[in-house]
Amino acid sequence: MKKADIGVGVALIISSAWIFWYAGSYHEATIYYYGPNFFPQILALVMGLCAVFLIVNALRGKSLSRADRIDLKGFGRMLIAIGICIGYLFLMQVIGFAMGTSVFLFVLMMFIGQKGLLKRIVSSVMVSILVWAIFRFFLVIPLPTGMFEFTF
Amino acid sequence: MDFTLLFHAFGTVMLNPINFFFVFIGITAGIIVGALPGLTATMGCALLIPFTFGMPPIQGLLMLLGIFCGGIYGGSISGILIRTPGTPSAAATLLDGYPLCQKGMAGKAIGISTMASFVGGTTGALVMTFLAPQIAKIGLKFGPPEFFALAIFGLGMIITISGRSLLKGIIAAVFGLMITVIGFDPLSGVPRFTFGSQDLLGGVTFIPALIGLFGYAQVFRNIEKITILPPVKSKVENILPKLAEIRSTLVTMIKSGLMGTFIGSIPGTGCDVAAFVAYGEAKRSSKHPERFGTGVLEGVAAPEAGNNGATGGAMIPMLTLGVPGDAVTAVLLGALTIHGLQPGPMLFKDHLDVIYPIFAGMILAQAILLIVGLAGARVFARLINIDRRILTPVIFFLCVVGSYSMRFSFFDVGLSLIIGVIAYFMEYYEYPVSPILLALILGPMAEQNLRRSLIISHGDATMFFTRPISAAFIILALAVIISSYYRIKKASAREAQAAASGDENK
Repeated sequence: MKKADIGVGVALIISSAWIFWYAGSYHEATIYYYGPNFFPQILALVMGLCAVFLIVNALRGKSLSRADRIDLKGFGRMLIAIGICIGYLFLMQVIGFAMGTSVFLFVLMMFIGQKGLLKRIVSSVMVSILVWAIFRFFLVIPLPTGMFEFTF
Repeated sequence: MDFTLLFHAFGTVMLNPINFFFVFIGITAGIIVGALPGLTATMGCALLIPFTFGMPPIQGLLMLLGIFCGGIYGGSISGILIRTPGTPSAAATLLDGYPLCQKGMAGKAIGISTMASFVGGTTGALVMTFLAPQIAKIGLKFGPPEFFALAIFGLGMIITISGRSLLKGIIAAVFGLMITVIGFDPLSGVPRFTFGSQDLLGGVTFIPALIGLFGYAQVFRNIEKITILPPVKSKVENILPKLAEIRSTLVTMIKSGLMGTFIGSIPGTGCDVAAFVAYGEAKRSSKHPERFGTGVLEGVAAPEAGNNGATGGAMIPMLTLGVPGDAVTAVLLGALTIHGLQPGPMLFKDHLDVIYPIFAGMILAQAILLIVGLAGARVFARLINIDRRILTPVIFFLCVVGSYSMRFSFFDVGLSLIIGVIAYFMEYYEYPVSPILLALILGPMAEQNLRRSLIISHGDATMFFTRPISAAFIILALAVIISSYYRIKKASAREAQAAASGDENK
């Protein structure tokens, strides 16, 4: 994990330096001596120090060995699933919560390889209606209705 | 301890069937979440908090307590049946639970695990009921320096127990603390790191952050590994343990329950540590320690009583001092805050109407856990077989709903997704996420009390060391971190030596 540690360490040093500098601008905003800049600047210093240790450790060959590796194909699948989720967030606002959720669950189940068509339809519709009913009637929490305001 | 109030609270909780219903729902949901590998009690509580928004505080909290206790117990079911602990706290249970399953005694192991969870959980709940008000009285004497030192102690403890690297634990905790400075500064009212966003003025909302850390991150891992994870099959028979078996393990259960409660009550530790310590002690004090690991009932009873005892223990610092004992109690603390209750010593002064029903509910939860656990073990065992390709999208959806429903905000869903992606990478690069969660709770407490202390003392930082309680917490935190540094160093040296000798053998 040597390269990763060095990369993370450098990124942390840069971001800590930026946080320290940015938080400094709050100093003039108040009359407090230990004002809003105080804690973020201390944190930035500690983080910067930790990042230096991380890099030094990595350079001395003391990085941890990797217990698990990211499966690249799986990682791609995960990114597409996030994309489907973002699509669902927009769809929900157009066709409403329950219908949007049914479509989202159906598509996601299909995408990750659930083969049974009936299983997919039944589980996605049932879960969406159940959660919609709990929020709508039991918790009385408003959910997006989309163009079908009268129902879902 | 006001016994009249306690009895009155028992009456309120027990005589209302709705309360029973919510504890029952919580326990059942908790066991299901706990039994399914990859879903933890923390995640269960996080996902179900939104369902308590519309409820009266007591009923909502009773349900969450049920999920907590049920989730910790439920982890043992999958640990015993498929050698995969449903929750980290069940990792010690499988050491003897799975060998028992291989011997065809899975039902018996689950039965003893249920009994032990009941005994340990009841022990923890009773200790909590009687000890918490006393600790709250001490807590009332705490000033800003003590609370700051306590926050540092809590963070120090969680850093030392999570992950293989102390440095990465500290980085995770500081990262969590940095998140807490976003939004209005509570002392001066200056908005910090909001970059003009109205959504960030109130800071990063706790529930979406929590769901990102423990919900989305796990869902992403499940989706990534969906083709690699093998399908599982499990079934059980003969759950009820014999009277002689209960009698032979009862002492171990009570002892482990007490130990678990004590360990759970140390801020930053938690159920998983309690389970391993209880297992280790049961093995050490056994007449036949060599049989541990081959499938003995004490080996299941000890960790299960230990981790369920820790549930009550972990509630003590959370309720009395506002410092969570572990990740799940950090979530419960968030839930209390959402319901308008600020955990800490003042809670015991101002909200006895909530505190005592919590005590009563915790004890009630243990009884319901025993009944539901024994009656439903076969069904819960079957749930492990649920197709992950159906379950994962459903959990994904619950994460979306959970992060949305706090403020009905799509911004929160996006934020939660981003935190989920960060947590997903963090886990791969061995940065533990539990310190972030604790930092989210303890950050505001640490910052405000640090600044208040320094303002009171005119910048004299020695006040943290001249006040005995604050000095004790800081010294303890340092001692734990230093000793843990040497322990980790030793362990990695051993690992390197083993790897080197392995290479030579090749």
